[in-house]
Amino acid sequence: MSYGLALIYGVLKIINLANAGFLMLGAYVTWWLFTAYHVDPLLAPLVIIPVFFLIGVGLERTLVRRVLGSEPIISLLLLFGVWLVLQNLAYVIWTGDTRSIENSFIESTVKLGGLQLSIPRLYVFAMGVLSLIALQLFLTRTYLGRAIRATAQDRDAARLVGVDVDRVMGIAFGIGIALAGFGGSLLSLLFSFTPDFGRVLSLKSFCIVVLGGLDSIVGVAFGSVALAIAEAFGVRYMPASMQDLISFVVLVVVLVALPKGIVGTLRSLRRG
Amino acid sequence: MLEVNALAVAYGDVQVLWDVSLRVEQGEIVTLLGANGAGKTTLLCAISRTVPVRGGTIVLSGERIDRAPSARVVELGIAHVPEGRRLWPDMSVEDNLLLGSYPRRARADVRGSLEYVFGLFPRVAERRAQIAGTLSGGEQQMVAIARGLMSKPSLLMLDEPSLGLAPIIVTELFETIRRINAAGTTVLLVEQNVLQALEIATRGYVVETGRVVSSGTRAELLASDEIKKAYLGL
Ligand SMILES: Nc1ncnc2c1ncn2[C@@H]1O[C@H](COP(=O)(O)OP(=O)(O)OP(=O)(O)O)[C@@H](O)[C@H]1O
Ligand SMILES: [Mg+2]
Repeated sequence: MSYGLALIYGVLKIINLANAGFLMLGAYVTWWLFTAYHVDPLLAPLVIIPVFFLIGVGLERTLVRRVLGSEPIISLLLLFGVWLVLQNLAYVIWTGDTRSIENSFIESTVKLGGLQLSIPRLYVFAMGVLSLIALQLFLTRTYLGRAIRATAQDRDAARLVGVDVDRVMGIAFGIGIALAGFGGSLLSLLFSFTPDFGRVLSLKSFCIVVLGGLDSIVGVAFGSVALAIAEAFGVRYMPASMQDLISFVVLVVVLVALPKGIVGTLRSLRRG
Repeated sequence: MLEVNALAVAYGDVQVLWDVSLRVEQGEIVTLLGANGAGKTTLLCAISRTVPVRGGTIVLSGERIDRAPSARVVELGIAHVPEGRRLWPDMSVEDNLLLGSYPRRARADVRGSLEYVFGLFPRVAERRAQIAGTLSGGEQQMVAIARGLMSKPSLLMLDEPSLGLAPIIVTELFETIRRINAAGTTVLLVEQNVLQALEIATRGYVVETGRVVSSGTRAELLASDEIKKAYLGL
């Protein structure tokens, strides 16, 4: 999911190319818990979120921290490397076969005023909205959340009020990875996947995040809606296979036209 | 309460402070004077542990802090209000203030601290819901000082709080610093407004190119020919 990407970029100023890998891993873990241990896929996030959070914190502490001060290309390469490792790990453990989760929930639908709606889709959508609200509340109402935002806006100032900036960056990275895993787990309810899962989605996430403004959670929500609308219009006029192209086009257009994203642009307008 | 001894600080290979020693006693207002680039900001940053210390010691109420993390220094009661205010421009005034009470010690009495700073700065109270970046320079400086006070410091370090403010606001500001001090907070004040700073100070130090070149009580400094020539234009 895009929120994690935005959070990590906002706080650590690095683009987490490994996001796709953790998304894919979230999907596999959900599938594996389901097929091997009959764990309900809806409950898998209860395991995935805390475990992925810890993995994220560990990864930040051991690897990412070393490259934070250096050129952007170094962190890009490092995280790209992590993605490749995760992908290959998935090939080794789960092979390249396409996997999908099948149970009665996945197939279920409801009729709403003549419309046939897929319950898993509604569920995933609701979870997306819920996690946005939860994240927003966390970031605005708790000391730790405020410290994360403060670190994102001005690291030195955060240090001056007594924020342990290193710890905050680790936590932000952990939350980002947990959100990616959670997103992957949710998406495994909707799509079948291979170790390559997440590549296109990550691109879309980029697009959404850039659209929204690289460090704004509300902006990310705007971005998602804007991209969904652009795609919906797009499919009417071009073949569905070209749909993913829209992300690229939007990405480029936004980067050129509104480098600060929607929210950033509004903000500068308001400030005059 | 604060004792700096033979402090040396360098940015990479460039040494900025040599053998700096100073003392601040409970209840004082001590001012640091000196030309641009003398190293005043660097000295405050060394004390708040936001730049690395090369040599010497810093002792706060009996505890060595020259190797402590910055969070520890805040927890021990030093608040550093930095040059240029450094608010979080996209956050509300209230969020800026609440972050000021980030240290555990301060969280217990956030309400009391808010009341205190709103009493000192009624304008900040009026603007509490506004985004910090939209305030005027004077208002931002008030928020920056208020944020510092939210940690309930015993020592408040102010780095050129009057920079870029209109003269009438500056006078108001110095009066407020006096009130903060009268309420029991020790103050270490860096200023270019030498005359006004000396008016409220108990003692002062003059820093030149990284060294303390003279020091004394307010009266001594005001009477010194060097100060008169170099800073007061007399
Ligand atoms: N981050 C840094 N890296 C390298 N050199 C620095 C850095 N910050 C300051 N300096 C240098 O250290 C010296 C002292 O700077 P400092 O900001 O402490 O002086 P100051 O007395 O606060 O000056 P001002 O009155 O302009 O605020 C200057 O020569 C400055 O160029
Ligand atoms: Mg300075």
